[in-house]
Amino acid sequence: MAGGGSLKEGGSPVFDITPHKIAVCHLVQVFALHTQPDMPFAFQSISQHHRLGLFLFSLTRSCESFLDPSLEELLNQLKALGGLAMLSEHLISNLLVLSSPDDLFNFFDKLRGVLAAPEGSSMEEEQTLLDPNSHLGIFIRCCILTFNMLPFEGVCHLLTNLVAYCNSNDSTYEMAEDDDFNGSEFHELLEDPEVYCEAAEFEEYGLENDAQAAENLTHIPSKFLSSFLEDNQASDDPRIKHGDGGSQSGGLIPLLNNNFRTDDNLGVLRSRWQIEGYLNMQADLLEKDAISFPLYSFSATLRQLQKLAPELHRARYLQYLNALYHNDYLSALDELHCYFDYSAGMEGLFSRSPSPSSEFEVGRYETALLCLGTLQCHFGHPKKALEALTEAVRISQQNNDDSCLAYTLAAICKLLSEIGISNMTGIIGSPYSLGTTTGLGTPLSTQQQLLVLLKRSLERADHLKLTNLLAFNHLALAKFDLKASSYYLFSHVKKPLLSFGPKASMKLRTCPTSVCRELRLSSHVLSEFGADGLLQLNDTGAFSTSWLKNVSAVGNPWLKKLQKPRSLSVNDYDTFQFYAQPNPMPGSVLQLAGASYLLRATSWEHYGSAPLVRMNALVYATCFADAASSSELSLAYVKLIQHLSVFKGYTEAFNALKLAEDKFSVSSTHIRLLKLQLLHERALHRGNLQEAQQVCDQFGVLASSVTGVDMELKTEASLRHARTLLAANQFSQAAAVASNLFCTCYKFNMQVENATVLLLLAEIHKKSGDAVLGLSYVLASLSFCKTFNLDLLEASATVTLAELWLSLGSSHAKKASSLIYQALPMILGHGGLELRARANIAVAKCLLADPSYLVSEDPDAVLDPLSQASEELQILEYHEMAAEAFYLMAIIFNSLGRLDERENAAASFKKHVIALENPQDEDNLPTHGV
Amino acid sequence: MSSKESYRVELRSAARQLSDRCLYSAAKWAAELLIDIEPDAHAPASSASSSAASARATPSTSSAARPLSHLHPDASAYRRRLRSAAASGDIAATPPAGVSYISTPVPDDDGFNSDGGNDRYLLAKSYFDCREYRRAAHTLRGQTGKKAGFLRCYALYLAGEKRKEEEMIELDGSLGKSDVVNSELISLERELSSLRRIGSIDSFGLYLYGLILKDKGCESLAVTVFVESVNSFPWNWSAWSELQSLCTNTDTLTKLNLKNHWMKDFFLASAYQELKMHEEALKRYECLLGVFRSSDYIQSQIATALYSLRELDEAEVIFEDLLRNDPYRVESMDIYSNLLYAKECFSALSFLAHRVFLTDKYRPESCCIIANYYSLKGQHEKSVLYFRRALKLNRKYLSAWTLMGHEYVEMKNTPAAIDAYRRAIEINPRDYRAWYGLGQTYEVMNMPFYALYYFRKSSCLQPNDSRLWVAMAQCYESAPLQMLEEAIKCYTRAANSNDSEGIALHQLAKLHGVLGHSEQAAFFYKKDLERMEAEGRQGPNMVEAMLYLARYYKSEKKFEEAEFYCTRLLDYTGPERETAKSLLRGLRIAQTAFPSMDIGHFGS
Repeated sequence: MAGGGSLKEGGSPVFDITPHKIAVCHLVQVFALHTQPDMPFAFQSISQHHRLGLFLFSLTRSCESFLDPSLEELLNQLKALGGLAMLSEHLISNLLVLSSPDDLFNFFDKLRGVLAAPEGSSMEEEQTLLDPNSHLGIFIRCCILTFNMLPFEGVCHLLTNLVAYCNSNDSTYEMAEDDDFNGSEFHELLEDPEVYCEAAEFEEYGLENDAQAAENLTHIPSKFLSSFLEDNQASDDPRIKHGDGGSQSGGLIPLLNNNFRTDDNLGVLRSRWQIEGYLNMQADLLEKDAISFPLYSFSATLRQLQKLAPELHRARYLQYLNALYHNDYLSALDELHCYFDYSAGMEGLFSRSPSPSSEFEVGRYETALLCLGTLQCHFGHPKKALEALTEAVRISQQNNDDSCLAYTLAAICKLLSEIGISNMTGIIGSPYSLGTTTGLGTPLSTQQQLLVLLKRSLERADHLKLTNLLAFNHLALAKFDLKASSYYLFSHVKKPLLSFGPKASMKLRTCPTSVCRELRLSSHVLSEFGADGLLQLNDTGAFSTSWLKNVSAVGNPWLKKLQKPRSLSVNDYDTFQFYAQPNPMPGSVLQLAGASYLLRATSWEHYGSAPLVRMNALVYATCFADAASSSELSLAYVKLIQHLSVFKGYTEAFNALKLAEDKFSVSSTHIRLLKLQLLHERALHRGNLQEAQQVCDQFGVLASSVTGVDMELKTEASLRHARTLLAANQFSQAAAVASNLFCTCYKFNMQVENATVLLLLAEIHKKSGDAVLGLSYVLASLSFCKTFNLDLLEASATVTLAELWLSLGSSHAKKASSLIYQALPMILGHGGLELRARANIAVAKCLLADPSYLVSEDPDAVLDPLSQASEELQILEYHEMAAEAFYLMAIIFNSLGRLDERENAAASFKKHVIALENPQDEDNLPTHGV
Repeated sequence: MSSKESYRVELRSAARQLSDRCLYSAAKWAAELLIDIEPDAHAPASSASSSAASARATPSTSSAARPLSHLHPDASAYRRRLRSAAASGDIAATPPAGVSYISTPVPDDDGFNSDGGNDRYLLAKSYFDCREYRRAAHTLRGQTGKKAGFLRCYALYLAGEKRKEEEMIELDGSLGKSDVVNSELISLERELSSLRRIGSIDSFGLYLYGLILKDKGCESLAVTVFVESVNSFPWNWSAWSELQSLCTNTDTLTKLNLKNHWMKDFFLASAYQELKMHEEALKRYECLLGVFRSSDYIQSQIATALYSLRELDEAEVIFEDLLRNDPYRVESMDIYSNLLYAKECFSALSFLAHRVFLTDKYRPESCCIIANYYSLKGQHEKSVLYFRRALKLNRKYLSAWTLMGHEYVEMKNTPAAIDAYRRAIEINPRDYRAWYGLGQTYEVMNMPFYALYYFRKSSCLQPNDSRLWVAMAQCYESAPLQMLEEAIKCYTRAANSNDSEGIALHQLAKLHGVLGHSEQAAFFYKKDLERMEAEGRQGPNMVEAMLYLARYYKSEKKFEEAEFYCTRLLDYTGPERETAKSLLRGLRIAQTAFPSMDIGHFGS
């Protein structure tokens, strides 16, 4: 039976003729023949005429739903266009006239006259006929052809449907007429000359080529569009409100509306092209924001579509996606298998257009395996996912499906990089332990394998011109470089304990420039989308859909209000424009391009350049919010808020966090983690150790209990635990936790964390008074930082080093101060508040310890850094260090004899000490008081 | 009046009422049963046969369905003789002790007060018989009696169904069939539900109402309505079978509130059979056979149940008997053809195919039988052709979809096979054969991991079928996956659920051997050996098992056992014999090398 099915899909007419199409045909007729004398309807202005043309164009392309709109909706949309009330009546009366098969025959006969004769015959003047090759021309020709191919039964059915179509409107039509005075009112508004003079600009584009015109619309000055919008606000139709109220909310309410509509028994499908466009759009929306799709109602909608069009298997794929994004493992699995059983993988998941049916006999089930692999990966079954993907590789090699192979390799890379180095060991070989020789099973070889896979996939993608994949691979390579700090230590593993820490001579590629080089390659690839003409392939009619939506949406003031909270899925800059006209770039491309910015931000984060992190995250949040999935977008927000907390203090960070929490659902892990981080930092700074410990425990709970999974979260949790212990002055315990952590990090080759932990160990020893031991740790940390280009961390380590030297006695003050001055440019340029304050205090301390320096000679040399530090620390609410700064200041003022200022500093000192001792009444204290 | 006589009275009147309301197939069923009641015990066998023959001679409703049957009086006489001879040895049938049936009075036909109404009904029924449904309904407009009302609604319903079938073909659009519904459903439902509310609806009306509800998808209400219908008029087999099609699990079945009429036994038996509780079904049917001694229906159901239990020979005897009694029977003959297929009886299958072809070639069963024949002959293209025809005649013919899938697999047309299996699953998601077929198809395509999903599904539906577990284990064992632990688990399941082909034990032994679990391996080899001995089989597996056991016992220093297996191996030819010889030699040396062992040996 499948063979028959495929034939049907391949050789079918473009669409079935429906009453809605007859209505559209009629409108096209009016549009094209409006100059002829026997036409009873006259346009009041040229712009009105053109607007109708644009409307018709959009009607035939929009894919907001899979069902034909009812006559009532059509009339409402017509009304929203403005000044076409007469046309509505004309349309209805003409449709009602069609009451016998012969009327239909005559109608289509007459329709043929709309099309201009092909080249050669002379055009009569004063006649706008349709070019047979324009979009509308093709539409009309398809309608005529389909009608001519109908058997008599088909004509009878069409007639029955037509009667039902007209009847569905009967009940509401009177009401629509009542609203007419409204229409005339805003019609007057439309005649406003200013609007028209701008409208004329728009008309210059002409409508010979409709596709051109539609695209041109994006370039129309936003001023015109917004004024157009305001003018139309006068039309206030309750039906539109109801019907399209939810069109902004991810297409949810239109769906419900469809369910509602089927009760009228007008389940007439749109053309295949439109239905596929609808499904693709829903798929994109699902990926972006699954929460706005309630699992059951959407699957009911899809079931309805399946019932109406059983041969359209893609609806099943949507069912799969729906279940997937709602984390329903069982039904996702069922739907996946069901979809591929029916479609045999022939519906072209990659090109999104059906592939030629000639190869049908084979079936392309490798795609099914690929999907199965990603499904398992999504649900966190890496072992099963790997099995499926290896089978996919095998089958695609067997079937010579190169593109699927490339995609599969990319998927394997993604899987390997996501489940990470640690739990791969369980899959491929025995757990890696120190000192063993490198065999096939060690994690490092997995990473090598990953690199090889990536390169292979890249080559293939390049060869096959899979632009999307190429970009993805470049991104993956960049990510790989980013992570390379953890992985590139082959030689180090061979002789593990020969030299402590990595060798400086090793060539590493964590540096942002190399990451950015890969990224540039990827964005270069993406820009080829425009040039390649791939755009046409990916055009899903989204433009027309949103145009139509906007036509209906204008003039509903409360709709705008409704739109506000939904701004999550819309680019921020869209508020300046005519609602959200979709970007002509396909969503998937935008997503990749956006991902490159996130990666850039991460790479700069490692490198330590806060401003560049901020800039890249900002670019992402503003420009790519449209296409981003909510988790990636939340990541960008997290980066921005982290930046705020480091540079502007906690009050602002928490304010921003509140906004972000409103924007994303509470369940977003990124945001939840960020909140815990902020809470912990603040508690530590305020000296509220109890709270800090609580937050620490929460961190631990968030991580998975399986060993080797969620390593980053686990390290962060124990790092924070150690810091809490340190703040509580329990040095031996803190040191124990930290050295334990170091062992873990070393075992899993987490080099960035290694450096951080070593620095923490140094701090612990510094605070416990064992400066000599601290020195060795801080030096080790420094060497890690140097090797991996962790510049900011290096600066921080340098400050610690200086502090340690200083604590060894005043004889080392010179050395310490030179160290600090070395790190200062980095710190002042990129460092956060805390680091700057620490550096400033250290500078002051160095000077004070220096026997050659006299306070009375140059008091500002110490007072300036100290006051600077105290200000910054107050913003951070870091009581301990603020107290230290004020203490130093008070001593200096005392020695200078500036008693008033001494009293002030002493009072501040007292306040901070008291606050540190009573962290519970912290919230009563003003945050910015001196 | 004996109970049998009361059965007869009930059935006689029921058949008349049913055929009066144009419920043909239910009338046929009742009339068949009426004939099949065992003659009373006091009557001599010969007179019973003659009375039965005379009953046959009166034109029954079933003759309308099969016009040829009364042209062959000889055949039916032959059949009678055989039957009574077979039955004479049995005990007289009485209802099983402890079961008391509720006697349901046969409702009177509501007579027509005026002759005019009766005449109209007669005309309407004639139209109906000529399949002019709308005309029949039109004739009955304004008639108030329950009977007239029913026939009008029923005629409308059938007219709607007919139109639906036509539209289904007309509206076959580019995206497949549109969602066609019977356009009369809504108005009929409105009318019947209001009638039910005021209580002026009889059991036939309820039956129709149930049908409409079922079509509309209101299944729970449909069940209640069907239950009401069969409780007030139990002889309508169509109502029972509709009710049965709605009982997809045992829970709904046990929750039904049914009166304890003897028709309930028929219903339960058939429902059990559908739910794959074949033993229970057989038990019920055997009880019923006590009363309806010569019922073909019961016989065929028993044969079907036996076939499902893989009792092929017993089932075959019954089918042969059935065919001898009723040579123009087509119902359930497709099962018989499956049986012949499984036994690879070429000529019997061709004979059957020829026979049903002559009887009625446009029955789905006939097409299926012919397709089976071609499949057995290895002509898969032709087989598919006939399966397709069967499916055109009945789109919901479950087994034809599955069998066609098998054919496509044979033809290596995997997408088509998958599609066919999928459609079978669409009709009945609990059809484990189709899931199994899907799994096999993917396995053929060298996608064992993907196939696992399907085998898992099918073994979930049929957890005690060793074949399914073996298939799953083979997937795990296959070269690309090599998940031997999982394979062992599956084989263990298979071995525990009575693996008739004996694959599981052998594979278990082998896999344990591969994984180095020599103790378990020896255990399973030994078990496998015992099984093969019990079944009296020979083969390479036996040699392999003995060789392994000999080596194992040698390594375990249990020389006597090792020697036992080695000597047994000497009975076989081939390289293993030489190996056994050398093993034996090694054993002797080993035994002498252990003097303590020797002492023990001599001591005993």
